[in-house]
Amino acid sequence: MTDSIVTTKGLSFAYGDIVALSDVTLEVPQGTVGLVGANGAGKTTLIKLLLGILPSADGSIDVLGHSVNTDRLAVRSQVGFMPEGDCMPKDQSAADFIGYAAELAGLPTRAARQRASDVLTLVGLHEERFRRMVEFSTGMMQRAKMAQALVHDPTLVLLDEPTAGLDPEGREDMLDLIERLHGFGISVLVSSHVLTDIERTCDWVVMLDGGKVLRSEPISALSQTGVVELELFEDPAPVGDALQRAGAEVRIDGTRLLVQVAAGDPFSLIQDALVSSGAGVRRLGARSTSLEDIFLREGSETGEGSK
Amino acid sequence: MTDRGQVFDLGYKPYEGERLGRSGAVPAIYRDGLRRVLGFRRRARSKIVPWSLIALALFPAIIFVTLSVFLADFGADADLEFFTAPQYFELLSVVTILFIALAASELLVPDRIYGTLSVYASRPLNMWDYIAARAASLATVIVGFLLVPQVLLLVGQGAVANEGFFSYVGDHSDDLWKSALTALVYLIAYAPLAFLIASLAQKPSFATGIYAGVMFVGSGATSGLVDSGNDIFALAALDHHPRYLRDAIFDSNIQAWIPERAGFDEWVSLVVIVVVAAISLLFIARRYRVLL
Repeated sequence: MTDSIVTTKGLSFAYGDIVALSDVTLEVPQGTVGLVGANGAGKTTLIKLLLGILPSADGSIDVLGHSVNTDRLAVRSQVGFMPEGDCMPKDQSAADFIGYAAELAGLPTRAARQRASDVLTLVGLHEERFRRMVEFSTGMMQRAKMAQALVHDPTLVLLDEPTAGLDPEGREDMLDLIERLHGFGISVLVSSHVLTDIERTCDWVVMLDGGKVLRSEPISALSQTGVVELELFEDPAPVGDALQRAGAEVRIDGTRLLVQVAAGDPFSLIQDALVSSGAGVRRLGARSTSLEDIFLREGSETGEGSK
Repeated sequence: MTDRGQVFDLGYKPYEGERLGRSGAVPAIYRDGLRRVLGFRRRARSKIVPWSLIALALFPAIIFVTLSVFLADFGADADLEFFTAPQYFELLSVVTILFIALAASELLVPDRIYGTLSVYASRPLNMWDYIAARAASLATVIVGFLLVPQVLLLVGQGAVANEGFFSYVGDHSDDLWKSALTALVYLIAYAPLAFLIASLAQKPSFATGIYAGVMFVGSGATSGLVDSGNDIFALAALDHHPRYLRDAIFDSNIQAWIPERAGFDEWVSLVVIVVVAAISLLFIARRYRVLL
C-alpha cells in the first residue's frame, strides 16, 4: 500500500464559469486528515473528485495509489463516504440498509448482514437497528451514515461535515468515534468548517480557501510559531534589552515579551537575560496558535477566509 | 459465575472475508429492486398498491380457472374459453401501464430523493451497473406481471380440458412463446419511457401520474388528430404501438389501433418503439452520468 492516501497534481475544477478548485497539488499521508475551509472553499468538490463523481477537468488525482481518472472502481472499492446531506432511505430499517450497503461493496449476503450488525453496534445503534430510519433523530441518522461508510471495512473513509446538526453530546460521540478510526487501520479524510473539531481529531490538515490550498501539513507544525512568550512581574525593558543584545528579536506588549531567535534555543537566552536582570517571571512558555487564528489570518490575506 | 454484569468492548473487527466486487454488487442492486417494487422489507402500506395491481391482473384468470373447474365438476363443457391470450393482454392494458409506471418510479426515485446515490458512488460500481441492475429488476417484474396470468390461464384450462392437460398445453404451446414475445414488446415499448420520467421526477407519485398521463392523454389526443386527417401524429400514440404489434404476433384483430388507422404497417410501430426506447436510455444515461 502507498504511504499517501491522496495525491493530486495541478487539479482544477469549475462549475461553468465558477472555479471551485484551482491548481490543487497535494500529498496527504495516512492517518486522520482534516480538510478545512469556509463554505464554498472547495471541500465537497474535492471529495467528489476523489470519488470520481465529478470528472477532473485538469490535473491528476490518485487515491490509495490508484488513479481516479483511469481506475475509479479500484478507488471506490477501498473507500467509504459519509456525505453531508441525506443518504439513507428513511423507509427502511438501519440493519436492512447497512447490510445492503455492504453487499454493494461486494460482501456476500450473510457476511454483509453480520458486518451490518457489528458496525451498528460500533456506532451505538445496536438497539435501534430494526427501527425504520424515518424515526431516527439527527444524531442517530449521522451514526447510521457513519455505519454505511464503515460497513465494508474501507481503507479510507471520507467524512463530509460529520458533526453537522448534532447536539453537543452527539458531537462528542461522533468525534470520539472519528478519533478511534485510525486505530482500526482506517485512514480518515474529514471535511469540516468547525476548526476545533479538526484540531481535536486530526494529525494532518489541508486548508482550502477559494479553491486553492493554503496549507497542507501536520497540525503540530501549524500550531508551533517559534515564538516564546515571557510575562514578568515588573518592567520588561531591561530583559528585552538583554535579549536583543544577545541577538533575539523581541516585541514588548505591556509586561509581556514575545521572543524569537533565528537559530539556537530561545529558552537559554531568556534564562541568561533573567539571571542578569534579576526580573521575576509570572509566566513562560512556547506560544502556540490555533487553526482558527491561522485560517483567519491567511484567509484574510487571500481575501476569502475572512468572509 | 459472577453476580454482576460486565460490558465488554468488542472494538472493531476488520473484515477479512470474501469480496465479490461488481459481481456481488450488481445482483444486490437487482434483488433490492425486486424488494422495492414489491414492497418487501418495507412498511405494509408500501405493499398495498403493487399487490393490488398484481391482484387485479390475476383476478380474471383465477375467476376463470375456478369457474372452469366448477363447471367441469358439474359435467359442463370444459373447453369453454373466456379469454384468448391477446384478449387477456388487452384486458390488462390500463393495469399494466399503471404497474410499469409504479415499478419504474419505485426503482429510481427513492434513491435520488433520499440521496442514496452517494452511497452507490462510494462502491465499486459505475452508472451502467446501476441502471442495468435496476432495468433487470423492472424487466423481471413486468414480464412476471404479464406472463403469470397467461400461464395460469393455460394451466387452468389445461387442467379441465377434455383432451387432457398435456394435449391441451401442447396444442396451445404457440400461445406461450407468443405471450413471451408480446411481454418483451411491452417491456421495450413501455419501460424505457417510464424509467426516463422516473429519472426526472421528484416523487414516485409524480412519476406515475406523468407517465400515465403521457400514455392515456397522448393516445386520446393523437386519436383525434389522426381522425381529422393528420396521420403523422399516429407515431405519437405510444400505448397503441405495442398493442398493434401484439395483434400481429397473435394474428388477432382486437380493434383498429391508431397507427393502423393512419395506414402505418407494423414495422413502423416497431421502429417507433425502438427509437423511443433508445432515446429514453440515452437521456437516462446522460442524467445519471452526473449523479453517479
